[in-house]
Order: sequence, then C-alpha cells, then structure tokens
Amino acid sequence: MSKVYFSTWNGELVNNIGKPKEEWEESAYNLPAQYDDHRDSKAFIGWDGVSLFNEDVDVIRLAMEYAAQYQVYSEACGRCAPGRWGGRILYDQLDKIARGEGEIADLDHLKEIGKSMQITSKCEIGKTVPNPILDLMNHFEDTFLECINEKKKSKHYDDAIGYIAKITAPCTDACPAHVDIPGYIEGVRDLRFDDSLEATRQTMPLAHTCGRVCPHPCEDACRRTNLDEPISIMALKRLGADWEANHEYNFFHPMEKKPSIDKKVAVIGAGPAGLTTAYYLAAEGIDVDVYEELPVLGGEVAVGVPEYRMPVDKYNQDIECVRDMGVNFITNSRISADDMRRFEKEYDATMVAVGTRISKKVRCENERPEIKGYWGAIDFLDKVNLYEKYGYTISKEEQEENLLTTDYVDLTGKTVVCVGGGFTSMDVVRCSIRANAKKVYMIYRRDEKTIIRNTTYEEYHEAVEEGVEFLFHSAVNNITTNDDDILTELLVDKFELVPDPDGGRAQLVKIEGASYTIEADYLIPAVSQSADLDLLPEEWDIEMTSWATIKTNGKDYMTSRKGIFASGDCEYGPMTIVNAVGQAKRAASVMSRYVQTGEITLTDDEIMEDHLSKLKVYDKKEKVTGWLPGLPREHSSVLDAEIRKHNNAEVNLGFTQDQALAEADRCMRCYYIAMVQA
Amino acid sequence: MSKIINFKIDGKDVQAKKGETILQVARKNDLYIPTMCYISKTTPCASCRICSVEVEGVDGFILSCNTPPTEGIEVKINSDKLEVERTNIMKLYDVNHPLECGVCDKSGECDLQNMTLEFNVGNQNFSAKDQLRKVEDWGLINYDPALCIMCEKCVHVCNEVIGDDAIDVKFGGYSSVIIPKNSQTLDCTYCGECIAVCPVGALVSSDFKYTANAWELSRVPSTCAHCSAGCSLEYETRHFGINGEDNIYRVKNNFEYNSLCGAGRFGFDFENRAKKDATAFEGALEALKNANAIRFTSIITNEEVLILQKLKEKLGIKLYNEDARLYADFMKAYSSVSGKLHHSASMDAIKQADAVVIIGTRIATDNPMVRYAIRTASQHNGAKVIYAHPLEDALMKNTATQFIKYEVGTEEGVIALLANELLKNADIDEDAKAFLEELDLGYLEAESNVGDDEIKQMSKSFSRTQNHVLVLGSDLFAHARAKNIAKLAALIEKYTNFSLLIVPNEVNTAGVSLICELDVDEETENVVGYNADGDFVLSSLEEADLAMPALNQVEGTIVNVDNKVLPLNVALAFDGYLLNDLAKAFDIDKEYTVEYTSELPSDKGFKNIAFDSLENFYSPHGDDIRGYLLDEVSCVVEAVIEPVADLPEFNGTVVYNCNPVLQFNKFTNKTKQLEKDTVLRGSAQFAAAAKINDGDEIEIISQNRTIKRKFKLDDELKGTVALNPVFDIGQESSLYRFQKSKIVRVI
Repeated sequence: MSKVYFSTWNGELVNNIGKPKEEWEESAYNLPAQYDDHRDSKAFIGWDGVSLFNEDVDVIRLAMEYAAQYQVYSEACGRCAPGRWGGRILYDQLDKIARGEGEIADLDHLKEIGKSMQITSKCEIGKTVPNPILDLMNHFEDTFLECINEKKKSKHYDDAIGYIAKITAPCTDACPAHVDIPGYIEGVRDLRFDDSLEATRQTMPLAHTCGRVCPHPCEDACRRTNLDEPISIMALKRLGADWEANHEYNFFHPMEKKPSIDKKVAVIGAGPAGLTTAYYLAAEGIDVDVYEELPVLGGEVAVGVPEYRMPVDKYNQDIECVRDMGVNFITNSRISADDMRRFEKEYDATMVAVGTRISKKVRCENERPEIKGYWGAIDFLDKVNLYEKYGYTISKEEQEENLLTTDYVDLTGKTVVCVGGGFTSMDVVRCSIRANAKKVYMIYRRDEKTIIRNTTYEEYHEAVEEGVEFLFHSAVNNITTNDDDILTELLVDKFELVPDPDGGRAQLVKIEGASYTIEADYLIPAVSQSADLDLLPEEWDIEMTSWATIKTNGKDYMTSRKGIFASGDCEYGPMTIVNAVGQAKRAASVMSRYVQTGEITLTDDEIMEDHLSKLKVYDKKEKVTGWLPGLPREHSSVLDAEIRKHNNAEVNLGFTQDQALAEADRCMRCYYIAMVQA
Repeated sequence: MSKIINFKIDGKDVQAKKGETILQVARKNDLYIPTMCYISKTTPCASCRICSVEVEGVDGFILSCNTPPTEGIEVKINSDKLEVERTNIMKLYDVNHPLECGVCDKSGECDLQNMTLEFNVGNQNFSAKDQLRKVEDWGLINYDPALCIMCEKCVHVCNEVIGDDAIDVKFGGYSSVIIPKNSQTLDCTYCGECIAVCPVGALVSSDFKYTANAWELSRVPSTCAHCSAGCSLEYETRHFGINGEDNIYRVKNNFEYNSLCGAGRFGFDFENRAKKDATAFEGALEALKNANAIRFTSIITNEEVLILQKLKEKLGIKLYNEDARLYADFMKAYSSVSGKLHHSASMDAIKQADAVVIIGTRIATDNPMVRYAIRTASQHNGAKVIYAHPLEDALMKNTATQFIKYEVGTEEGVIALLANELLKNADIDEDAKAFLEELDLGYLEAESNVGDDEIKQMSKSFSRTQNHVLVLGSDLFAHARAKNIAKLAALIEKYTNFSLLIVPNEVNTAGVSLICELDVDEETENVVGYNADGDFVLSSLEEADLAMPALNQVEGTIVNVDNKVLPLNVALAFDGYLLNDLAKAFDIDKEYTVEYTSELPSDKGFKNIAFDSLENFYSPHGDDIRGYLLDEVSCVVEAVIEPVADLPEFNGTVVYNCNPVLQFNKFTNKTKQLEKDTVLRGSAQFAAAAKINDGDEIEIISQNRTIKRKFKLDDELKGTVALNPVFDIGQESSLYRFQKSKIVRVI
C-alpha cells in the first residue's frame, strides 16, 4: 500500500486530484514513495504506468525526462527502428512542448508514434516507454494544452530536479545476482558469445557454474510463461563461457581493472560468495587476499556439488577468471579468532563467507556422530569430491571411521540411507549410486511434488532413473547399532498429510502401526547445514539471526561490527549459489566505497534495484501480446542413465547450437525502464 | 527430427521444416513480406520490424523473420493495420535521412529508396533533432553514419559468415553507430562484404565512391579468377570519357546467398590492354614451331588448356605445369584408394558440417571462401573445428575449437595418427588394418609433436557431431610423401562419415589436372611460357613477347574446389591475339575458344554442354545455378598404402610460402586497390635465430632461389617459421611450401 496523489500503475487508477491529502485513496502497490532515508519520492514512472506522490510534479517534464532516460539508457537497446527513432521523436516533441514551443499537432504525432512503438518495437523497453507518457497526456491533457496554447514553459522546466532511472527485466529482478539475462540471451541469438559472456560477468563471475547448477529462480519470473513455457534461461548462460574455453581465449572481463588504490580486503572462504566478493573488489583496484581452509578453491561447489553435475575443469575456469582479475588465494588456511583480530588491523575490511559446513542432525533416537555408518553429508561429499575431482585419498584412520576399506569412497555391497530433500541430499544419493552402493534410499518427510519444488524436476527424475528409491512421508525414528557400535538398522515412521478442517496448513501426522525397519550400512543426514563461526572473536559480540547465521540488514551486508561484512550461506543460511553471488556482488560494491570513505552507502542503481524488487517486476497475470504462443521450450539431452550411473561424466550435455538459437529466439527481451523523481 | 509443420499464409496451405521461420516459408512460396534488415545467410537481425505479420487469434504483431510457425496457424501478411505500421516504420527510417540521393552511390539500387516508394512515404509527420556525424575513412571502406539505418546486416555478416568480427554496433538509441570492434580504426581482412550487404549508401567502396551511378553500369556476370573457390561475381563496367575505353568500376556479388573476399571485390583491374601486334604473333608461331615445351600456370581456362593439349599432340611437345601436375598426382593417388575421380565434399558441405578438420593449409589466406564456409559452420552449427598446422593463424582463432600444432614436414605422420583414431571402429579392409597395426604411434607422436591427448580431445569433441568434413590443402601436394598422404585421406573418406575437400592452389588447378597430360618440368631449352617463364613468353602480364588477355577478358570455364565447371565472361574487350589464334595457325581449327567447352573430356566428368548454355546465377531462393557439377567417374582401386616414412626434421630457420590476405598471384599484385605487403613476417624467436631485426633488408636463400625482402617482426607469430609472400614473384609449385632457408642481412 502506498499513499499517492495520482497513479495508473498496473491498470489501477488512483485519482486524488483536487482532494485534500487526508482523503487520498491509497494504491495497492508497493510504490517507492520513500526514495531513501533522507529523500521522499515525488513521482515514479515506469513501464506499467505513472504514480505521483506530490501535487507539484511537472508532468510534462516528467514525461520528457522519462523519454530522455530512454535515450540515455538506450545503450541497452537502440536496436530496432521504432525504438531508435521513436524514442528520440518522443523526447524532441515533449521537450518542444515543455519549453513552450509545442503545437496541437505535436500531441497527435506523439500519440501516433507512441502507438507505433507499442506495437512494433523489438523489446519491451520500446514497447512500454510510451505507456506512462500516453497516460500523462491523457490524464493531464489540460496541462499539456495550457503550455501549447499559451506558448509557455512547463512549470519546472528550468529547475534542477533529480531524476533517477533504472533498467530492469522480470528475470533480472528475480535473479538474486540481477544478471542481465536478456543481454546474455541476445548475445547467443546474435552469435556474439563474447558479448553474451560479458553481459553475464557484469554481475556474475561464475558463468560456467550458474550455467549448469543454478536452480534458476529467474525462470519462475519469465514472462514467456504467460504465453507458453519459460525460456531455458540457465542453460543458455553456459554457451558464452563454453565458447571462451573452447577457443582458448583469455578471460573476457566486462570491465577494465582499475589501477591499485592501495586498499586491502581479506575474504574468508573461497566459495561462490568469496570468489564474487574478490572479483568485483579486485576490479576496483583493491588488493584482495582470499583465505581458504580446504586445500582446493571453490567451496561447496568444489567439494559439495559432484563432478557429474559440475565438472571441476569448468568450475576451475570460473575460479581462474577471478584469479585473472588479480586476486590472491591462500589455501589450507583455517582462520581463527586471533587471525580475525589481526585482519581487522591489517586489512581495510574483511568479508566472512565461510558458508555452512556443519551437517545438522536428523533428530532421531540414538543419533550419535560416533556411530560407525553415521556420516554427515558435508563430510561424505568432501571425501567423494576431493578424490574424484582432485585425487585426494582418504587416510587409514578416516577409512576406519567410515567403514571403508579403500582410500576412496567405494560403497560396493552397501545400503545407504540419506535423509534430506534438498540439493545436498540429491548429491549424496546420486554419488552413492556412482560409488556402486547396492541400494540407496532417500527418506523425505514430505511428498514428491515438494522435493521437485525444493530441487528441480530434472534432478529428481535423474536420481530416480539412476535407481534411487525415494521414501516419501517418512522419517527416521531410531538407529540400531551392534556391539561394535556399527549401524545396522533404522526404524522409519510413516506420516500422512492431514488437512486442517479450519482451512489452515495441512499437518503431517504419524500413522500409527505403519513404521518399518530398513537394514542399512550408512545413514547420511542431509537435512540442513549450519555455519561454523568459531572464527568470530567472542568479544566482538557479532549479532546473529535466530537461525544462528550472521546478521546484516540484507542490503549492505555489513555485520554489527564496522568493517566486517558477511555474505553467502553463513549470512543467509544454506541457500543457492546464485543467492551467495548476488549478496557478495552487492557487498563488494558497498565495501569498495567503504574502504575509501569509511561510509556505508548504496548507489542509486542499488537503491532502485531494491525498490523494484519490492514492487515486483514480473506480473504473472499480465497478458502478453505480439508473440506467437506455443513454441516449445528446448530441452538439452542428458547422458543415458545406464551409462552415467557408472561414471562421473557430466549428465547434462548442454544445448546443441540449433537448440540454443531456437531457445534464444523465444526470449522476448522484456527490458523495462523505471524512473523516480526524488 | 524432421517434423513438418502445416499452416496457412494468406489462406494458402504451406509447410515448414523444423527450424524454418514464417518469413522463410513465405519466401519459399513466393509470398512477399517486406523487410529492411533481413539477410538470408545470417541469423535474423530483427531490427527493422517491417516483416511483422498477423496471426489469427493472436493479439499484436508477430515478427516473421525469427518466429517459427506452429501447427495450424493462419498467418496474414497483408492488412490495413500492418500497412499503417510498416508505413510508420518507413517514415521513421526517413527521419533526417540525408537527401543526397543525387550523389549517393546507392541511389537506384537502394533498399531505403525502394521501400520509401513502395510505402509511398511522400512527406514527414515526425521530426527529430538532427545530429552532426562524421564520415569515417576505413581504408578501402568508407562509412557514413548519417546514411546508416542500423539494420546490422554488416555486423552479422562480418561475425557469422566472414569471421573477422571486426565491427560492432555502438548502442546509443538514435545515436547508434557502427564502429570498429575493440579498435580505433577498422582492422580486418577487407573482404568488403559489409559494403555488399549495406542496403543504403552508408558503407561504400572508397575507390568507387562518387564515380558512377548504379544505372550507368553494365553488369557482366562471371567467376572470380583469383583462387580455387571460383566465386560468382559481377563486373560492373562503363566507358570512361566520351570516346574512352571501357573500365571495370567495381565488382558486386550475390551477397544474399554467397560471399566474396576482398581480392575478388577490389582486385578487378588486372586486365591486359593490348593491340594486335602481327610481328609478335609471327614470333610466337615461330617459337611454338621450335618449342620443346610450353610452360603455363593454372590461371587459365579449361578451353585454353584443351588447346594446349591439342598443340602438344600436334607439335609433339611437352606441357609443363608443376602445380597441376603435382595436384593430378595427388588426386591419382587419392583415386587409387577411393575408386573415384573427385573428392566428395564441397563448400556447401562445410556450411552444413558440425565437425571440420583442417590439415596442410593456411586456409584463411589460401582460400578465403573455404574459411567463410568453416566460419558459417562454426557459428550456425556450433561446429567443432580442428585446425592442424605448424603455424597458428590469428584469423582462425575465433573459429577453431582446437589448434593442433605439428612439426613442419610431419604431415604424413599426422594424417596417419588421424586415420588411426578415426578408423578405430570402422570396418576396414585387411590392408588398411595391417597398415594401422604397423604404425609406431609413439614415434609418430614424438616426431610430429601431436600428443595422444590432443587426438583424444578431438575425438571427445566429436562425441555428438554428425556431419564431418576433412579439409586438405596445398602444403601437401608437393610434399615428399604426397601420394601416401592422399591415400590415407581417401581411406578416411572411404571408411568414416568424413567427406573430403581438397583445396587446389590456383583458380583452375583442378581443371588443368583433368584436361591435359603434363610432363615433369625439366627446364629444357626452347620453352614457350604462357604466363610463365620461357624463352618466348605469351602473357597477360607485363613481361610479354606476345600480349594475351587476362581472365576478365575471356570467355571460358574453370573447375573450382567444389568440382564445379563455372563460366567466365568478357568484362573488358581484348584487342590482341588469343591462344586460339595461334592454334588456328596449326590447323587446330575452331573459330571461337568456347567451342571447346563442349569437348572437354567426358571421361573426367565434363559434360557435353555448350558454353552458351551454361547458366551463371543464383535463383531468387538461393539455388546455385552456375555451370555444372563434374560427373563422378569410377576408377580402379589398386593402391597399396605404404608404411609411413621416417618423419623429416626441419631445424633452423624455415620459410613458409604464404600470401597475405587479398593477395594470391601476379594478377592480384597488378591491381590498384589491394595492399602489396611483401615483407617476410617472423616471430622474435625467428629473428633471434636468423640474427635479424625488425625492418632489416634481408635475403632469403633457399634450395633454388634467393629472394630479397624486408623483415617484419610479428607479435602474433611464434617459433622459427616465417611467412614469405609469393604473390609478387610467383609460386614455386614444385616445392614443399616450407623451405629451410638461410637468412642473410643485406648491408
């Protein structure tokens, strides 16, 4: 809800013109009425309409400035005849009226050109820019006529007024890293893969990774869904990255590295958040040291995500791209509280990006970590991946702890039970299949639909094809061990979903008498992970969330201690790669200013980004016109289950060129432009 | 999946194959949808929006150029609403477009002019502030941003088809312009395709600019005479001055479906102006009577080759042409394994391929059209391109997916390694099996420096590919092991799904090799040279005892790399004597040279078709209707593949005979616009080994000649092989292209 003077946003007409302020009707939308801490907004104008928060707004100038922003921002576009000339004509005609030289015929020309742009422009920016301008001309016709008839300037024509504009798109808005998705898809469509890759790397250095293992929240906000099916956004991302690697190019960076500004930042953890922070800070000319506890770089994507989903040579390309920006990596170095105290003095700022690497318990009877056969998911995946990807073998001692007889994870003849339901548990069961387990179960409290929603359709079905047995509506009740404290059997309870008669959320209720036992060798808990934050000095008393993660305001990512920042899973809790990247990108931007000024600030672009996220760019009810519906989404082929379950080869083969081009051509380039008068 | 989609356009039932767009189907069915930015050979630019159509039951306009149809839709390509919006777009295109049609090069053949008239845009309702824009001088190309309509055709072609990727759109809405990509000025191979595809006068030839109006020029369709691609082109001629003679003003090509390199486009003025010189003619007859041999190059028509063959028979003399003789030997060896006369692939096959292996050629300069075909495959099919050569080529960097560097001279070993890998699972004959079993892979890998991992990487990249082409080039023809290399290539062609393209040296090397019997050049006395050295020289170049016409002054045919017989036409008249005139004096009596066209040997695949019946055009749908394809001819399979010989070593400074872009031979060297860069280019390592510095005057002393050159240090090169141009001095076709050479600084 927002208090507005006048609004046409999203088809809602709120007209308080002439009413006293206290009688103003409110708008149902989260409009950016307050620009930031110290500035109110006077007006908001965008693809879907215009909102005035103040009676004094010069609507002609507002329309003109919006057209001008379209000119300024058209580096993102300017690629079709109607948009290119139409935008300029809109601006010139509006300026002519605003400066008091307009004629009645100009209004007709504006309407005519506006309509042509709406119908024929290449992208949504060109199609939507006329919308609020025509709204203003329609609802404030008298104001326009007054300027024209009296040949006078619009009321604030010569005043200095701040207008702040931002380009977005529904997919870009939904992406936690705000990747310029239409930009990189256009690069594929135009077969200019360098452009495509640079568009991605503006906000996302992990193009190989997020072109493969991203859960793609963007696809849930793809406008193409309103027409038929969403674009396969994620799969198109890896084309640019693969092209760069296939042609053995040096790394295409979207920006030039700035000369050193003699500032230093420490980053703790070389996972997605740490890598992202480092990349964008280094680009700003800041010296970055990244400390990593493990012997290898990459964090959970390296040691958690298995080879068959994320080939390490591809991930290493992403990491090398970060290194190429001039980042210094220090591996095998676990950071202690003493180190942190020292870092506070030695560095201008510190980023904590240690992730969540402690496997949580499944909460059943007799659950003790020392049971042989009880193996935390994180450690299990570490062992598998460090061997499969990097050749690190398992010591005798650790073999014994985990009932192994080989120096790598070989589960021949063993039954593995994993408790989970998210990506980590999927990795566990599918790695177990590849480690030749006799039988692999996944125990999940909820149903098939939910597990698909929590992971992806592909992930679940591929696991089923490979032979994983899913036990839904189930939970482990008790662990039975033998005299040597070796796990032998699990008691599993069955649940059913009982609808709430009062219409509330359905409850899981245990079905009495339906419990059963499974003979098992391993129980691998993969329900969730928590952060190991021993490195934070106690006396700093850093504020934590109720989830035991580091607390920030989710906008600038500084912790309660000045100069100490946090991002990624240790801030948010176990979440996606792209979420970590998005947080770290923003944090790097804030840090780059903090190390120079000591101030915590957001750029106008970032403020607008947050406003638009709140307002929501994607409208799933919008009727899409001007595109032929019914063009199917392309699906890349995958390795045959019988082949892939015996090896670690990448399962998803990626698009063929034909598929990629067909898919890219489905993209509707839904760029939008929004502007605030502050 | 070959699913057919049935739908309707303006009530007519039509069908689309998977991947075809509404616009493509409409054009196939001769239904007209106007466009400004569409070009058939690239992905849609989708910038003009004029091709919008309506679909029954769908709100808004649908862009036909990049939308594939769905089953059962009813498309309307004409309506009042569409007309209004298309007209509005044309009005926008005309906003501030300079009214300089009177002098603009494009006037008369300008898409903007045509469409403005088509939509009857007689006045302007819209206006925008004009902007001052500077004309850019990019050497052979001029760019006028004020005339540019930002259709992006040039950018698409440069990237997708040519591979230079040298220009870019600088986005800026109304101020958008085309700029050199990542460079202050245009840095490209100057193919000039950007000029060809420009629908307006924004990109023009600097040389042609303001010299003639389109409607004053006569068009002569012909075939390019510079390399074995045999590209289709049109010479545009006009007489100069009131009583002046005709000149070629420019060359154009059917850019919609094919391309042309800069040598073809800008190197057109190689004609020979001469009058009939009766004394010289008598001298020539006398020389022929006394001749032991005629030495000639492959820059010649099939018909003249046939005349030479008849002279050989009549006069009992020998014919020398080392280039064609070695090529013929190579092809003979190929045939002895493949059982057929002609290689199987074509440039079109490459365009359809998703896997290409290139060995033994610096393809980007040896045959630019083959490069463009590979680039097209790379971009449109995501083709895996394996480029094997001793020297990397920066021009191929963005196209090749794997560069395999082998040691100079080890081509036989490399092909053997390749055959060993590709024939692994093939059902091959016993001899071939025995050959492969005999291979000492460790030795071949060590000496050629091609690792097992590289071969494996190649195989891995072919895991999903379907259409494979192997491209071989002219490093191989004069190779000491040429015949065995040809046999191995034939083996690969025979037993795998690779088709084979063998790229000849010169414009008609293939034709010469088929039509006449050549003798080993023994440099006997009394040799008559035809565009070649001799005691008496018939030539279309300067050093002639009797002047002869150049290939843009004659009728005749050539055989190109695709095994197509293609017609050449007279762009400029030649007033001197022809080879046929000399032949007539020896009772080899046909009135016109082209009467021999239908007599070309049918046992080599030539057809009995008269010259005047040969077509030379592309159909409106892009079908190549030029000349004819040689018939396939079966041969006896008789060959035994020899074991691979010891691989040679080339230590010290090595010079590779290799022309810079746009240069091929003495004819291109003669033209006005083409750059004549004759420096020897080498790496810092080469300079150190040769003890020379950038800018030094040097002498290259190899087996049998000494060449004076200036040395230029080239950062893009590595190793101890330097590139030496031969377009100004002539190829020594009898020698392997890499030569150990002594480099001496001239003080």
